[in-house]
Amino acid sequence: MDAHADGTEMTKITIGTLVAACCAAGAWAADVRAKADVTCKPTATKLEYDCIIKLSNARTGEPLKDVTLTVGADMPSMPAAHNVRPVKAEASAEAGTYQARIQLEMLGDWAVRLDLSGAVRDRVIAILRFEADRVAPPPPAASKAPPRHRH
Amino acid sequence: MDDYLIGVLSNIGVISFVALSAYLLLLTGEISFGQQAFFAIGAYSAGIATAMWSWPLSAALVFGAATGGASAALVGLPTLRLHGLYFAIATLAFAEMVRLLFELFQYQVLIDGELVGPNGADGFRGIRYIFQNDISALQFMGLIYALLAATLVGFLLLERSVLGVSFRMIGEDSVLAQLQGIAVARHKVLAAGLAGALAGIGGGLYAHLTTYVEPRVFDVMLGVLSLAYGLIGGLGTALGPLLGVLIDIGLLESIRALAGYRMIIFGGLVALLLIVRPRGLLDERVVHHLGRLWHRAWTHMRMAPR
Repeated sequence: MDAHADGTEMTKITIGTLVAACCAAGAWAADVRAKADVTCKPTATKLEYDCIIKLSNARTGEPLKDVTLTVGADMPSMPAAHNVRPVKAEASAEAGTYQARIQLEMLGDWAVRLDLSGAVRDRVIAILRFEADRVAPPPPAASKAPPRHRH
Repeated sequence: MDDYLIGVLSNIGVISFVALSAYLLLLTGEISFGQQAFFAIGAYSAGIATAMWSWPLSAALVFGAATGGASAALVGLPTLRLHGLYFAIATLAFAEMVRLLFELFQYQVLIDGELVGPNGADGFRGIRYIFQNDISALQFMGLIYALLAATLVGFLLLERSVLGVSFRMIGEDSVLAQLQGIAVARHKVLAAGLAGALAGIGGGLYAHLTTYVEPRVFDVMLGVLSLAYGLIGGLGTALGPLLGVLIDIGLLESIRALAGYRMIIFGGLVALLLIVRPRGLLDERVVHHLGRLWHRAWTHMRMAPR
């Protein structure tokens, strides 16, 4: 596979809603569950990535406007070891669309942390595999398991 | 206080629990590479309790501690006869077994049209208690440090108690401790259970802090680091492991240029300290010396003419 050929291609990853129902929440802001589509691509600077985040209400599908979005990242394989400084995402002209530039410490699988505040307070986690020339979701869980022995 | 600092401090607080867990076992002379397993059990248990069973956070953390502690005591029973390297390998094997079990563990329920719960290797997402209950990051950090302070007070009391002395005696020489009438087996199971409960609380806090856990979070790296924190910080006091965590996460994190090389630096630091100060920076001698200095200063202050 020619990795450089893929380098210019933008990888679009749709991340499911990361929600859970729990105790009754008092505030409206806490009731809204966010869903995010995260698209990242490498910049010319090493380990720097431009991300476009589309936020929507998980129940209604409506774009989430007027929220303050900060984007951070953690490495699941090294908990608490890499504290990437969160950056504030800027709202784009399109409703519910935000963009942010993140600087990682190394290549590999990162849990991109989207923290919403303001009109909606929530957190969405997107697991992405950051490579030098592309960003893609990690292989599906089924492929992590060893292949079945066949006779 | 900005979000980044709150995040780093919260991480330091949460990881301190698993470091203290490994430290407690080190007191009894056992090296465990498996405390991350109880951290994982606590994280999943507490996460399930709030996200799926709608328990309050306090009950969920107690549940996480209970499952972590009970699992550790159960593991402690069959491994009682093992010492040193054999015990270390057994704990490592158990931790890997737990991690692999969580890769297979699927328990999801439909809540408000969404599947919630552990989903094997994809992990357990949506542990949103702090967001649903409008708890700020600063408030949650306060909770972490309140529990950590309570734990440290517990350690302070333990170290001054007969139980704490017994733990240290067993750690120095278990045969001699047995000859002194100490029930070594019972004390070791108790220490394992307490250590597991500590790791379980840490896991519960971690799950709610990050809102997301997955099996690879709990791999051997976390176990090795939790052990290294005690060895670097020192085995003379419970503040030792906290110093180790501060050095790793806090100090190296503050020097951002070195962040990419932190594991190399940290590994070198562990190797160097094991040679120069085998019982860490705050070893028993330093703690005793500091205690004497403090006592002298306190006496001087009280005796000073007003």
